[in-house]
Amino acid sequence: MSIIRALKVSVLAGTLFAAGAFAPGSGSTAVAAQDVSVCLWGTITGPDAILNGMSYGARDYFEYLNQFKGGIAGQKVRTLLLDGRYKLDEELKIYRRCVDQEQAVFVSGWSTGAVKALRDQIAQDQIPFMAQSHSSEVLDPVKLPYIFIPGPTYEQQMVIALRALKQQGGKTVAVMHPDNEYGRGPVNVVRQSGLIEKTGLKLADTIEFPFDTQDLTAQMLRLKSRNPDMVYVQASTPQLLVILRDAAKVGLPAKLFVGNMYNISAAIPEQLGKGAEGFRTIQIYADFGADIPAMKEIDAFRTKNEIAKQDVYYMKGWFQGIVMAKAIENAIAKNGGKIPDDIRSFRKAVRTEMTSLRSLDVGGIVPEANYDTHQGTTLARIAEIRDGRYVPVSDWIDAR
Amino acid sequence: MKRAHFIVGVAVAAAVLAVTPFLDRYVAYLVTIVAISSIGALGLNLLTGLCGQISFAQAALMGIGAYTAGNLCNAGLGLFAIPLGGLAAATASVVIGLPALRLRGLYFAIATLAAQFILEYLFKILEPLTHGISGLLIRPPTVLGFAIQDDRAYARLAVALLFLVWSGIGVLRATNLGRSFLVVRENEIVARGMGIDVARTKFWAFLLSGFIAGIAGAMSGIASRLANPEAFSFALSVDYVAMIIVGGQGTLTGPLLGAAFVTLLPEAIQRIGELFNTPSILSALREFAFGMLIILFLIFEPLGLMAVVRKLRLRLTASKPGGKSPAATTEAV
Amino acid sequence: MTYILQLVTAGLAVGSVYALIAIGIVLIYKCSGVVNFAQGAFVMMGAYLTFAASRLGLPPVLAVTLALVLMAGIGVLAERVVLRPMLKAPVVAVMMVTLGMLIMIRASCLAVWGPDPLAFPRIFPDGALELFGVFITYNYLTAGVLSILLSLGFLGFYRFTAVGLMQRCAADNPRAALAIGIHTSNQVSLAWAMSAGLAGVGGTLLATLNGLSLGLADIGLIAFPVIVLGGLTSLGGALVAGLLLGLLQSFTDGLLSPMIEDLLRAHTRIYSVGALQQVVPYALLVAVLLLRPQGIFGRKGSERL
Repeated sequence: MSIIRALKVSVLAGTLFAAGAFAPGSGSTAVAAQDVSVCLWGTITGPDAILNGMSYGARDYFEYLNQFKGGIAGQKVRTLLLDGRYKLDEELKIYRRCVDQEQAVFVSGWSTGAVKALRDQIAQDQIPFMAQSHSSEVLDPVKLPYIFIPGPTYEQQMVIALRALKQQGGKTVAVMHPDNEYGRGPVNVVRQSGLIEKTGLKLADTIEFPFDTQDLTAQMLRLKSRNPDMVYVQASTPQLLVILRDAAKVGLPAKLFVGNMYNISAAIPEQLGKGAEGFRTIQIYADFGADIPAMKEIDAFRTKNEIAKQDVYYMKGWFQGIVMAKAIENAIAKNGGKIPDDIRSFRKAVRTEMTSLRSLDVGGIVPEANYDTHQGTTLARIAEIRDGRYVPVSDWIDAR
Repeated sequence: MKRAHFIVGVAVAAAVLAVTPFLDRYVAYLVTIVAISSIGALGLNLLTGLCGQISFAQAALMGIGAYTAGNLCNAGLGLFAIPLGGLAAATASVVIGLPALRLRGLYFAIATLAAQFILEYLFKILEPLTHGISGLLIRPPTVLGFAIQDDRAYARLAVALLFLVWSGIGVLRATNLGRSFLVVRENEIVARGMGIDVARTKFWAFLLSGFIAGIAGAMSGIASRLANPEAFSFALSVDYVAMIIVGGQGTLTGPLLGAAFVTLLPEAIQRIGELFNTPSILSALREFAFGMLIILFLIFEPLGLMAVVRKLRLRLTASKPGGKSPAATTEAV
Repeated sequence: MTYILQLVTAGLAVGSVYALIAIGIVLIYKCSGVVNFAQGAFVMMGAYLTFAASRLGLPPVLAVTLALVLMAGIGVLAERVVLRPMLKAPVVAVMMVTLGMLIMIRASCLAVWGPDPLAFPRIFPDGALELFGVFITYNYLTAGVLSILLSLGFLGFYRFTAVGLMQRCAADNPRAALAIGIHTSNQVSLAWAMSAGLAGVGGTLLATLNGLSLGLADIGLIAFPVIVLGGLTSLGGALVAGLLLGLLQSFTDGLLSPMIEDLLRAHTRIYSVGALQQVVPYALLVAVLLLRPQGIFGRKGSERL
């Protein structure tokens, strides 16, 4: 007898719970698009949170439009920023919420692992998707017509560094990467493409290390014994801190190491001091505070709002916001200034407008944006830490 | 299991199945996750709640189920991949469990911890079987020509599986084997005195528990179309132990409550937090609540939500005239 | 040869911190039979507290001392509030409650100090020296030597002082200890205080080596193979096992992994053995559990269950 009651109670509780917590979205599948909804997820907490300026930047650009420009085409944009925590299951869950409950017209998501896992579903769902990941495995305008990335792929960034090494007369390179999709994926692509040999370099060693690593002293000793002319690191800032710190422990100089776009962080010179001098990295977006038109908008936004992370990644996010908003704006304009009634056709129109963006002025964050290739820009330059600051040491290089 | 319990179970499962077509994808996905967690928690409960052996390798066993089922699914075996995934995990569970005949309590727990980390590592490096870090993409299984590839279909499949596992355990509890589990948990010496083969009983507990974990893993792989090492990490194993603690160890329905609670609590905190617009604190709050929940339940209500439900019900019936006396209703669930 | 010496140095430095933390776990286990999963969280919290104290402008020595005292308080609090009500609970439940503490402390640190790695104050001087071709930074040297000294000092305290004797009595036979007038429950609190304080100092030393982040708590899980190898109840065993495991990991990273990987790359398409150093301790653990469950240094019957 008691189990019946218990079950009744639990079922009742479960139903109430479900109804209470999830009611706002249920049944919304059939509802026509009435507003402009943009759904983003970042890594607000989690191992990669130090880079989260980029999800704040994109969200803030839409908020800027709402506060200063009356939204897009007179419509306020509904933004939702969620925390994917760099956890795959959380990100898969959030994706469903964005697509179905939030009825987003543009979704932006974080980790390479998640975007790669979702890529076929994104094509199937026909939802414009701005990836924070620059993996070449999610960039394919034909097979993955709805995924856009905001710059050179990780692989292209690696090639820029390899060519620079060759120019300086280097002969051998070692590669280090963490044991996650972001680390291993791009390195594998480059290894298997034979690009290193084609550049005229020899791969001295590839060292994989745990993503949550705390100590890499022994790996640094291994690196020292292989004596490469350059070490390319495909990692995020927290791991790079460990690498440079432990390199100093065994007497390897920071100038040996080259990182990618995710290693521009004030934390590196701040925490490592002299141990960071000479470290080089790939830069795609303008610095926060640079003398460019976009910064004027950000400054205006800053008078009324707080900006949590003022760095180059915030600029990246702002750039993504600009291109997403432009595509949405053009789609609405093409529809006679009205939001399309049907969310599916709205999404399709936004995708079409996105691919038609050419030579778009993005306030100087990057020279210009072109989305026919789904990549935005392929320009990057090399920056080096000198006296505790990142200084550009090359011109803009086209990564293609 | 009493017939009445069974009927209620059928009714609940039927009701959930009936509403799934009307759910949006996100809610359907939540139903799927809760159902999968419930299956996994039922499996662990068989070992911990009924046999008294804690295990931190539940996630890794689920991983074995997911990888096996995924590979078989891609080979075109359809839904048969699910029980086969269960069998693979059952085998692994027995291999992990064999030392348990020598190790007890703490040492066994640490051994399962080791198994969890070693298996997680193997998932990452056995590229031909697991596709390493990228994970194994799983093609939707087809049944009679229809592909199961929609979140609502996953929800239906998961709920149906959950019902099968739940009623199977209900039947098991009434058998001699089921009863001997309980005796072994309470006192192994008494069990021997009663003529129960302790080693054999434990062997069955590991086998069945692993089988169920494998089914849960297989279902989770199919529902996310991906089996990936990160999805079966130590943290998930901790979640499962928490589920049976919160739900009520050793009960039949407790793990279901625990699974729903542990899976949906972060979701609820998230939704409430969004009203206050504080994304950076939310994650910390979710973890904090989870940790505190475990501690509070263990200190104040070691028998979990099932005990809470029972007490509430007793209070309700006692206040009514003609309500049954508490002693008559506190039967083991 | 220099390479081997380098690896030994690196292994010993990390191993000494493992030892320091494992000693804390063993101490709690001896006294109260609790396997403390939250030790890693104590380590992390100690480092954050030192950080916070030096942010307030305290000189390093005072900051570490303050953190030590605060951590000791947290240890007592954990014992009194969380573990004492669970005195009669099964082992499984007690393990789980300490896991709950781990999760809660981590969440608190996340809420207060955020998810990003922070700059830990430089406690030891910059610079490095070369000994027999081995390159060691002062930081590395001091942290390693300090943790070994602390571990040894603690073992000495436990063996030779009156309080240490009472601790050993209470751990060895609580009833007899009660009979001769030792307040055993105070001794248990004291053990938690010392253990958490030790973890706090260990955390500070670890943070000078590895920087300050939530990841410091992960060391708690590596400590489990250490204590099992050391035999769960042997403080000396924990010290030796900690150093051994540090060496083992260092040699895995520096010698074993490259050897296997060179072999694999020459003959297969596989190029990485992944995070081998993370599983080697657990593989060793399984071997020890199967062959010699009482640990390398433990005595038969040292299992309390």
